[in-house]
Amino acid sequence: MKILLVEDNERVTQFVVKGLQEAGHTTDHAGNGRDGMFLAASEPYDVIIMDRMLPGDIDGLAIIEVLRKAGKRTPILILSALSDVDDRIRGLRSGGDDYLTKPFSFGELLARLDALHRRAQGVDIEVPLTVGDLHMDPLTRKVTRGDRPISLQPREFKLLEYLMRHAGQVVTRTMLLENVWDYHFDPQTNVVDVHISKLRQKIDAEFERPLLRTVRNAGYTVTAGEPGGGA
Amino acid sequence: MTRVVRLSALSLALSYVALGIAALVLFAAPLWYAWQVTIQEGRTEILQADAQRLTDVFHRDGAAGLKTFIDARVGMQIAGERILLMTDSSLHPLAGNLSMWPSTVPAKPGNYTIQVEVGNKAEPALVHVAMAGGYNLLVGRYNTIFAPLQTRFWYGLAAAIAVLSIAGMLVGLITRRALMSRVHSIRQTVSAIIHGDLKHRLPAQMHDDELSTLSRTINGMLEQIELLVHGVRNVSNSIAHDLRTPLAELRSRLEELALIRPPMDEAYAEIDSAVSDVDRVIRIFDALLRLAEIDAGLRRSGFVTLDVNELAANAVEFYAPAAELKSIDLVCRSHGPVPVSGDPVLLAQALTNLIDNALKYAPVGGAIEVAVLARSDGTAEISVSDNGPGIADTEKGKVVERFYRGDASRGTPGVGLGLSLAQAVAKLHGSALELSDKNPGLRVALCIPVDTAGAPSPGTLPAAA
Repeated sequence: MKILLVEDNERVTQFVVKGLQEAGHTTDHAGNGRDGMFLAASEPYDVIIMDRMLPGDIDGLAIIEVLRKAGKRTPILILSALSDVDDRIRGLRSGGDDYLTKPFSFGELLARLDALHRRAQGVDIEVPLTVGDLHMDPLTRKVTRGDRPISLQPREFKLLEYLMRHAGQVVTRTMLLENVWDYHFDPQTNVVDVHISKLRQKIDAEFERPLLRTVRNAGYTVTAGEPGGGA
Repeated sequence: MTRVVRLSALSLALSYVALGIAALVLFAAPLWYAWQVTIQEGRTEILQADAQRLTDVFHRDGAAGLKTFIDARVGMQIAGERILLMTDSSLHPLAGNLSMWPSTVPAKPGNYTIQVEVGNKAEPALVHVAMAGGYNLLVGRYNTIFAPLQTRFWYGLAAAIAVLSIAGMLVGLITRRALMSRVHSIRQTVSAIIHGDLKHRLPAQMHDDELSTLSRTINGMLEQIELLVHGVRNVSNSIAHDLRTPLAELRSRLEELALIRPPMDEAYAEIDSAVSDVDRVIRIFDALLRLAEIDAGLRRSGFVTLDVNELAANAVEFYAPAAELKSIDLVCRSHGPVPVSGDPVLLAQALTNLIDNALKYAPVGGAIEVAVLARSDGTAEISVSDNGPGIADTEKGKVVERFYRGDASRGTPGVGLGLSLAQAVAKLHGSALELSDKNPGLRVALCIPVDTAGAPSPGTLPAAA
């Protein structure tokens, strides 16, 4: 991916640029609103990471609004220290596609960038969904692994569906909470892990090759490939 | 400040007095005018009648007869209040009590006001001139008889103005003194508050005058401010206490790492635990910020109509695997949808906190019941009951405080903000958390007013289910 990072904090910049580089992405960086606006408007990027509060007279939300008005549809992830629900809503209303509050873990950032990029590419995920020998038909709500049918409860189905739609990508606990349970807060416990291990019992327990894997310090991924190939 | 108050109280009294005087004058002026006109007319009529009578005498008895008549009149005149003069055509006096024809009066019929020398001062008099057969007749009366009446009128007016001024000033001064004493007490209270003692309240009388109403409103504001300040103080104390501990751990962990320089594998493991320490600090921080946000009442914008029943069912379903893991029987009891007006995110968070708490304290193999009930008093009650150790009555008030963790909670994970967050959410929805004993166990209930707009009445809901 080609990514633009508009961020004034040097340390955060260094951390994100290095991480993205290691994950195989090229990153341009702008340290203020003016440069950020210029780069975002002139270069083709796959995803833009936008800090909200920037030095100078142009802030992140203003840039996003200008870009959207100019017809730029590049997915934008807003990075901000403002964590109020209202701030989040304002950020998304201005044209941002996702909102991540500082401090954040790199795994969370990477997972969200992947999800944004994939959504923007409009890759039609084949229905029925298939990962290795695991099949899911969202219409008939049938799940099979190999030739064995797997019976899932509605929420387990939704959880697996989200994971399979993001097959090969890392999905964080927060993303699962937001998208599967619609919980936009941190329930402070490892309940998501319990759900995952229950799901794992059903889809992986009796098979040689596990599909649902834990990615350390980040989240989970469903993949038929070798472990570690997620990002 | 004092100067302005004094001036305004005094000038208010002064302007009231001025207004009173103006009203009095406005009342007296037309009266005076009407009076003057009436008197003038009456006097003119009388003088005309007098002149007519003299003319009649002239016509009957001739000039000599009139002269005799006038002389007789002058002779029996009382107090010299009347003026009579008869002259020939060249204005030579023939009879009467004036020595000569007044120079200011022309020899033409009509009414004139003149000054007549009586003794050594001039008296105003109204005279009427009439002609008869080449003679001139002047009939008049002094205005002196009306003078006492006029004087009395002026005295009356002056006295009224004096009384009004003095009474007005007195009332003004008294009002000012009363006002000043109350303003003074308010000022004292406020300056005590400015100096940091938020416990003071403004004095408010029982009756509803303007100042008392204002005082009560200000007291309400002070109440809220004190609560918020108390909250902030609590939060900063809590931050000092509860963030220091993990930060200290983190610091020593990192320092040790730098000192010992362990082999790579171990170092990475240490870094991982350091990161989770930081995550814990961030989590506490987020919870505190969220609490502050709720406390400030800023989240009312997120209120929508939602079904608490669905909310409860989702939360129970969310925790079901965790309960299963601990062999706890987690059930949801409800009687159909209960619409309320509330913040879905905050209510869900409060409810998950309550269930999370119950899961922590319920024994292995225990039971937790989440119940939704539309109460007859028009509120929806969401309750979470467990059969854990419960909370002693003395601790019930404390558990909703920030970071308070009961004795039973030692050794369990959590930052001690769950119940206070639920409490803050309840407060935002206009109610409070109700804690009661279940013997054994604890029942925590959160009540929200039912949203009656566009929804079936809550009374019919249980029957429909």
